[in-house]
Amino acid sequence: MKSIDDQVQEEFARLQTRKHFLRNCSMGLAGVWLGERSVAADRDGTHSDASDAGQSIPHFPPRAKRVIFLHMAGSPSQLELFDYKPELQKLDGQDCPASFLEGKRFAFIQGVPKMLGPQYPFQQCGQSGAWVSDRMPEFQSVVDRVCFVKSMHTTQFNHGPAQLLLHTGNQNLGSASFGAWTMYGLGSESENLPGFIVLVSGGKTPSAGKSVWGSGFLPSVYQGVQCRSKGDPVLYLSNPEGVSLQQRRRALDAIGRINQQTFNETGDPEVLTRISQYEMAFRMQTHATEAFDLRQEDKATHALYGTEPGKESFANNCLLARRLAERGVRFIQLFHWGWDSHGAAESEALNGGFKTRCEEVDRPIAALLNDLGQRGMLEDTLVVWGGEFGRTPMRENRGGREMRFVGRDHNPGAFTMWMAGGGIKPGISYGETDEIGYEAIENKVSPHDLHATLLHLLGIDHKRLTYMHQGLPQRLSNVTQPSRVVEEIMA
Amino acid sequence: MQACFHRHALVRLTVLAGLVAGALMPCGTGSLAAEERRTTASADELRFFEQKIRPLLVEHCYECHSEEAGEQQGGLLLDRRSGWIDGGETNKAVIPGEPDASLLITAIRYDNDDLQMPPEHRLDDETIALLEQWVRRGAHGPADDMGETEFSRLGDQDYLFDQAENHWAFQPVRAVEIPSSGAIDTEHADWGENAIDGFVLDALSNAELTPSSPADAATLARRLHYDLTGLPPTFEQVTAFQEATEVDPDGATPRLIDQLIESPEFGQHLGRLWLDVVRYADTDNNYRPDTRTPHYHPFAFSYRDYVVRSLNDDKPYDQFLKEQIAADLMGFPADAPQMAALGFYASGPYSSRAQNEALDDWIDVTTRGLMGITAACARCHDHKFEPVPTADYYSLRGVFAAVARVNPLDETKQPLLTSYQPTESQAADFANKRSAIEAKINGAAGKKAKNNNRPIAQKIRETELAELLTFHPGAPARAMVVAERKRPPDSYVFVRGDAAARGEAVPRRFLKILDPQQHAFPESNSGRLQLADKIAAPDNPLTARVFVNRVWGYLIGSHLVDTPSDFGLQGAPPTHPRLLDWLADDFIRHGWSVKHLVRRIVTSQTYQQSSRTRETAAVVDPENRWLWRANRKHLTIEAIRDSMLLVAGRLDRRIGGHPERLWGDDYTRRRAIYGFINRFNLDPTLRAFDFPAPVQTQPARGESIVAQQALFLMNSPLVIDQAAAIASADALTRIESDEAKVEFLFRTILGREPVAAEVTRTLKLVDVQQRFQKPDRPQTRSIVSAWPLVAQALLMSNEFQYVD
Repeated sequence: MKSIDDQVQEEFARLQTRKHFLRNCSMGLAGVWLGERSVAADRDGTHSDASDAGQSIPHFPPRAKRVIFLHMAGSPSQLELFDYKPELQKLDGQDCPASFLEGKRFAFIQGVPKMLGPQYPFQQCGQSGAWVSDRMPEFQSVVDRVCFVKSMHTTQFNHGPAQLLLHTGNQNLGSASFGAWTMYGLGSESENLPGFIVLVSGGKTPSAGKSVWGSGFLPSVYQGVQCRSKGDPVLYLSNPEGVSLQQRRRALDAIGRINQQTFNETGDPEVLTRISQYEMAFRMQTHATEAFDLRQEDKATHALYGTEPGKESFANNCLLARRLAERGVRFIQLFHWGWDSHGAAESEALNGGFKTRCEEVDRPIAALLNDLGQRGMLEDTLVVWGGEFGRTPMRENRGGREMRFVGRDHNPGAFTMWMAGGGIKPGISYGETDEIGYEAIENKVSPHDLHATLLHLLGIDHKRLTYMHQGLPQRLSNVTQPSRVVEEIMA
Repeated sequence: MQACFHRHALVRLTVLAGLVAGALMPCGTGSLAAEERRTTASADELRFFEQKIRPLLVEHCYECHSEEAGEQQGGLLLDRRSGWIDGGETNKAVIPGEPDASLLITAIRYDNDDLQMPPEHRLDDETIALLEQWVRRGAHGPADDMGETEFSRLGDQDYLFDQAENHWAFQPVRAVEIPSSGAIDTEHADWGENAIDGFVLDALSNAELTPSSPADAATLARRLHYDLTGLPPTFEQVTAFQEATEVDPDGATPRLIDQLIESPEFGQHLGRLWLDVVRYADTDNNYRPDTRTPHYHPFAFSYRDYVVRSLNDDKPYDQFLKEQIAADLMGFPADAPQMAALGFYASGPYSSRAQNEALDDWIDVTTRGLMGITAACARCHDHKFEPVPTADYYSLRGVFAAVARVNPLDETKQPLLTSYQPTESQAADFANKRSAIEAKINGAAGKKAKNNNRPIAQKIRETELAELLTFHPGAPARAMVVAERKRPPDSYVFVRGDAAARGEAVPRRFLKILDPQQHAFPESNSGRLQLADKIAAPDNPLTARVFVNRVWGYLIGSHLVDTPSDFGLQGAPPTHPRLLDWLADDFIRHGWSVKHLVRRIVTSQTYQQSSRTRETAAVVDPENRWLWRANRKHLTIEAIRDSMLLVAGRLDRRIGGHPERLWGDDYTRRRAIYGFINRFNLDPTLRAFDFPAPVQTQPARGESIVAQQALFLMNSPLVIDQAAAIASADALTRIESDEAKVEFLFRTILGREPVAAEVTRTLKLVDVQQRFQKPDRPQTRSIVSAWPLVAQALLMSNEFQYVD
């Protein structure tokens, strides 16, 4: 057995070499960036891999090799899941004190709303004694694997900007997503699959659109590739009707020969890259199809996750996330829509759709953590869970009236995220909100702090992973905002 | 009240927590602190600081608390006296003489759990004692900054303006003497009658390089066709050109160039360059969650058509710019075609929630897009690297804040353009559909949506009606305009970009670096007309240079200035500075004629060289910086798509009109420039091929190679269909011998005859593929024989997708 240290060192060395390989051979792994003009990718440093900008990456030995980011789009209520507030229960039904409303902007709350106590009972779970509500019965069994951050806060109170801030470090469009920065810094590990894959469930794309996995000002080669859990997993993956894999193979061989002749005549290395691009696409046809084929999993696994092959579901996406992680996909981002529990309609109310959402994610998440744990993959896979903001301790009263269903409005002041694996200290809770869960007050963590911390776990100094754009060395943690690595949550 | 009580307790805690986290605040305080505090520190004290204290601060604190750190955690700067005396945002860091009362000392002592600095570990006792001693002695130090270093000058506008005085891009464009080819290189005395070639040859000879021989006629024909129209020549056109060059070696090429520049495809192709610069799209950057539809800009297309038309009409570039900035102030009738130019601003990204961002976008596209200066960077503080004080940003913001937007769906405020005329049947069909929708809207009067209380009628207007207006060919064209506000609001600097922190008032005026006298624009309106005049002025040193460089890059495949939207101190220097100036001067002297500029470039020997590599030259200049050969260029996704439709005989060449769907089963056969661009959700195929996200001005197209591009070529319906169309063309099916069929495919798709080896090789592929075709196999949409696959193989070849 090699010691962990040796393995880390090896990984360190391997990453360096791979980087070198990607640059010099310009072979398609995730793909190849050619710079603004033809093959001269490395000329001016602004359009080359991060390592050329005077940075050798990783900056220090990584704790995590890959990320699985479970984004609960719409933002689940921390007050019904993880942030237990008995004080709020006592205030239930009372008019909200004016001091809570002064200077606040809400998406929908008007006038004086009523306080709303936790809608579901909580209990302490596991050795760590973490409080979890009864909506997450399966998750209760894995709390010792996770680290809760209860003191997340953001500056944005609308979904789109808040999602952009959480994923790109900037509430406005145009910045690069966390996944894209990771690809820019570390490159892909897989030769057969895209390095940054996005899976969406819940029937909706995120409010901020595809920019939440976009490459922004980074070269487009680093953007996330949206895949689907039913039908063709990747756009244009299947051969047209009537064309077999063998036929395709022969055709590609012929194209390869034609292109080879072009290379012989021109000596242009980019031609070879194009040849390899077809080869990777061909491999992807086989490998992506295989990776996305959930029927290959045994019954026990399906029972564990609650998966049904062929469906579009969060459960399927969780199992896919594990399969993709096994196959070396660096960054896997899941979006599950439907957590916007205003109480304006049953489908999203805390006493309606919220329960269904919980059921949809509870088992698969617990299964994913256990599964990764049993396979020894949790050690170097970082799992992150959360919404884009939190929800108010007041009951939403859209139009100033009590609504038919129970719900809460958007609250940028406090929300809970949790992380597991990949260098995260398990079984702890970090940060506190006030007694009613309205604002983070202790050990506050902003999206920028989160980015700095997660990059750190990937072996990247967030201040040194930069890209010149608009006259500024841009970075994920946002040059214009303060940020810090939250070392307290690292193992 | 209980809750209230807790609340007060919390506030106090929050303040402390804020200090720990570094008291949140954005960058740039130091440079804003214009007032200078001079304290009398004796030479002894300063020496003590420099020798004992500064090294400690540098080692332990400057990573976060210095100008160099860029963000100045907690607003605290420890590289100047004003920094520690004024302290962070929340408190004074140092009270001279009172170490116990100084937060800095509290923090380094690690006494308080919530305030410990540096965060990694406690300093050793000796260091702490030194710092205590320093505070006790009065905390002396330099008044302004950490000393004469490059870092200390970040954001020092006086220094940056000094630097700018000699910066090439800020110097006036002057006529330049053309180097004479004969004097440089006697062997190439005849190389290039075009002035461009003199400059290039001069640079080549300095690098001890020589130019390449001219490209052969077939290659040149293909290059010219692609660069000037975005479409390949047919086999017949290539052959005709080859013959013409034999008959009239001097006249054939200029004739072809003229013909292509005068073709309507010219504007469709070069227009795309401009649309990248202006971040063109057909929707806003937001969408409506309840209806799951984008915010349509139904009339944005009239701006796109204006761009194409202006280029085809060779509208002088200065006029082109002025109309885009201020057509409504130039005395045109309200329904003049020029009004469509205002789409430059009106069709940009905007969502009602982010008005500041929308103004920022206008400032950015105007300064970076038109002049290559990164003024948007001066929003929160003076520019760190460029001579752009933050006041400049807010002067321009004042201009744009005085501009009124029009609701993109409000037809009454957007003038009808007669330049677009649908056919009678299209107009009739539109009228029918429209009245059906109107009826629906009337029927929904007063009704509100259950889930969010929105009027149903409004929803229908924003979706069905907006979609009809956007896509229906019978819908009218309107100019997407902006207008003047009745009273232009005064403009103030927002301290650190925060709209709530109002600083000094700044008049509307031009950038200081380009107008040192700082003439104020009129008070009565936005001043857009004056802004337009300043930008499109022959003595503006940036405008012509920036545009000339963009066009050069589009045609040559590499830029003279490699940072096309950044000509500032941080930008790349030009490879051929005199050439750039000569081109800019020539451009202006020829009435800002874009066609003249293009003709100037493509008639040069530099442009017409062979793209073949030469080993000796490649060793010296592997990146072809000195242009010893032509660059091979990869086709854009638009050109790939248009070319496939063209060689399949299915390209719809109509000009202008409503956007249409580019992919999917009902894809349009029109050119890609007429594709619908959804700014909120950019199409995945476009994304895979480096089409820029239209949320901000794009300096140049990137070029990546990813597997999704290959998958598109292998499996997308568009490609499969075109391959099938080629294979089922009468002209092919009439041919009996396989060999002749192969020749036909090469001529049709690649525009040339195959060589013998290629015929053999392709026949082998035909043979192999035919064996896969079993007679009992059900005949599918496209794959009825080996020929579609063979045609597709040629479409997928490098030769098809590159321009030599």
